[in-house]
Amino acid sequence: MGEVILQMIDIDKRFPGVHALNKVSFDVKRGEVHALMGENGAGKSTLMKVLTGIYTKDSGSIVFEGKEVEFHGAREAQDAGVVIVHQELNMVGHLTVAQNIFIGREFKKGIRIDDKKMNEEAAKLFEKLNINIDPTATMSDLTVGKQQMCEIAKAISHDAKVIIFDEPTAALTESEIEDLFKIIRDLRKQQMAIVYISHRMDEIKVITDRVTVMRDGCYVGTLVTEESTKDDIINMMVGRIIYEEPKTKSRVPDDAPVVLRVDHLNAGRMVQDVSFELRKGEILGFSGLMGAGRTETARAIFGADPKESGEIFVNGKKTVINSPEDAVKAGIGYLSEDRKRFGIVVQKTIAENTTMADLGNYMKGIFIDKKKEKKVAKEFVDSLSTKTPSVDQLVVNLSGGNQQKVVIAKWLCKNCDILIFDEPTRGIDVGAKNEIYKLMNKLAAEGKSIIMISSEMTEILRMSDRIVVMCEGKKTGELRIEDTTQEKIMNLATRDIN
Amino acid sequence: MDLIKKIKENPIIKKLGFNRIVLACVLVLMYLILSLMVDNFAGMPRIMSALNYVYFLGFLSLGVTFVIATGGIDFSIGPVMFCCALVSGYSLTSLGVPMLPSLILSLIVGLLFGMMNGYLVAYWKVPPFIVSMASMNIAKGVASVFTKTQSVSWPQAAKGGWFRSLVKVGKFPVGIIVFLVVAAICSIILNHTKAGRYILSLGSNREAVRLSGVDTKKWEMLAYAICGVLVGIAAIYFVGAYTTVQPGYGDQYNNEAIAGCVMGGTSMAGGLASIGGTVIGVFIIALLQEGILALGFTKDYQLIITGLIVIVAVYADVMARRRKN
Repeated sequence: MGEVILQMIDIDKRFPGVHALNKVSFDVKRGEVHALMGENGAGKSTLMKVLTGIYTKDSGSIVFEGKEVEFHGAREAQDAGVVIVHQELNMVGHLTVAQNIFIGREFKKGIRIDDKKMNEEAAKLFEKLNINIDPTATMSDLTVGKQQMCEIAKAISHDAKVIIFDEPTAALTESEIEDLFKIIRDLRKQQMAIVYISHRMDEIKVITDRVTVMRDGCYVGTLVTEESTKDDIINMMVGRIIYEEPKTKSRVPDDAPVVLRVDHLNAGRMVQDVSFELRKGEILGFSGLMGAGRTETARAIFGADPKESGEIFVNGKKTVINSPEDAVKAGIGYLSEDRKRFGIVVQKTIAENTTMADLGNYMKGIFIDKKKEKKVAKEFVDSLSTKTPSVDQLVVNLSGGNQQKVVIAKWLCKNCDILIFDEPTRGIDVGAKNEIYKLMNKLAAEGKSIIMISSEMTEILRMSDRIVVMCEGKKTGELRIEDTTQEKIMNLATRDIN
Repeated sequence: MDLIKKIKENPIIKKLGFNRIVLACVLVLMYLILSLMVDNFAGMPRIMSALNYVYFLGFLSLGVTFVIATGGIDFSIGPVMFCCALVSGYSLTSLGVPMLPSLILSLIVGLLFGMMNGYLVAYWKVPPFIVSMASMNIAKGVASVFTKTQSVSWPQAAKGGWFRSLVKVGKFPVGIIVFLVVAAICSIILNHTKAGRYILSLGSNREAVRLSGVDTKKWEMLAYAICGVLVGIAAIYFVGAYTTVQPGYGDQYNNEAIAGCVMGGTSMAGGLASIGGTVIGVFIIALLQEGILALGFTKDYQLIITGLIVIVAVYADVMARRRKN
């Protein structure tokens, strides 16, 4: 390991309603892989966004190669040699691999783009990294794993000194992970400084030199990986939160009525012949890797995207759902993984968002009965313990967890019996996460039926009564919680990928 | 800075809207300055002349406020207003249709154009910019064909033009009352009905509203339809004040109507709209037009100034948004 190349000191950042980073310090040395760990919402990504200038810090300082710096945007950071390989890949699907790698700084011959030279340079880059990808291939034809390799190649082509990997293995198969680790080890040998964000404990032990743990926006501590045990790290991550054990037994009786049956549903490449049943009072987990088609399945059921074929039965009755309007009428509510885009109207108040799906019941003649609206919204704020000074608060001012509660309130207000939670705790801090879990359990106990899509294994194992696993648009298995292990799920989740 | 913050937090000011109060002050200030600079500016003739402008521009602006609230835009309102005035005027003067049905015809023509625009935008997903550019030309063409490219003069009050009493009776400006009442109705629609709630919400986040099980297409189309009817009313006030309309014109009023609307605090990005702001904005535009003429400049300068107003107002909105994020 070499000297410290990058140091972040006492970084502070607030968002409306959230203290996202509370005097966090972090450093990384040349030739080291430094893991940044913590639960969702611990502030890892925020810290890296502050580093690369996507967010501006409220206070604190960043020292890079001995000089205090402040990057204004990813471009500046990139030019200085700090690059980030994002969790979501930023590739233009219809361009070739080489065109993607050199996007924004294309080689030119006169005024024409020199594709030949770009292909050659990309090939050299891949050679250096020991990656086998054709630079002329179209990006969208590659697997997620290959696309990520391209993203890494692109990062390195920027003459990177610090590379940040943001949960790089979230969407990869076992063998792809192996390849990735090989590349990371090579980079380390070349004296690259690497920040590795993940919460997969096994990987941390295998690939990293040091581990820094964050919790609720605070710095908890740094350990040398070799000298620490898994339990040390877990204790630091979990802190005050007591984790519930995985569910061992389904709470749903075998003879509970089927409230939703999906029969041979097809909708594009991502939803192929999906069938399953949901019982009353059940939490049905949907597990799988990123891009397995779970969200697409949910959206097709809900009528948000068109279906090609398949039938849906609600309470045993065949139901045609061609639009979200139809779905809501049938008593189905959908809580999107992307609240900001699909869940809430940020410029509207809590009260207005709460009645969004059920406004028809809040009319006095042609006028909206705002008094009744506010009263009901207040009841939901109280029963879900949403933290807000009043129901007149604009939703934009709430934290992620509280925004999620507003979305839940919207569907409870409509009195939907079937709720589809898509990544219900994404971007929510740990305390609020537990509240959401409690709430989901309560709803199930009251007889609501829940489909829960989640990429977090712990969440799936803790919440589900039964688990459907998907891979590349197909359902690859169904497990009763009693016979579920993490390995079984992973096997099913990667069954179609080689 | 602290003082401004304190003022902004005051409940009464919050209720009225800080920006609207500033805008109203601008209006009053403009009026005072013009009165000092121009002899007899405060006199009745100028006020009546400015009001004539306020009426038709005001209805256009109210209409386009609904469309902009959805995140859309309508560049056809000026020519459609002319089309309404020409089709109904020609029916009245050359085809022998009585007055009342002619006036209703004006509203119907406006409604049809609004529904067409709305349908294409909401159901066919054609970008509003393209739709309204196209329907602007359609409106001009329809008007020319219908009137055989002749201008139409609406009758004077003495010759059966009783509709002019909607504008003024003697010296009394009836139009201002009608305008304010319609504006109040618009404000109620926008803030207290399902239509307004969904129009504003879908302007802010269409997908979230659609995924709440709301028929967003219907409500989006309705916004354009409301705009159309208001354009039809604007046509009546235009001929009520200026009597004669000629086919092939009307474009210049698009910009002015949109300027009045965005100046009043309606966001071009959709989701935020203020009818009160639009009303004040319209008064400012009308006063500006009167002032420019009174100071001896030509109408061309007004085109330049309203163009700049649109740019500045939209830029201010963009900056305010960025700061919030």
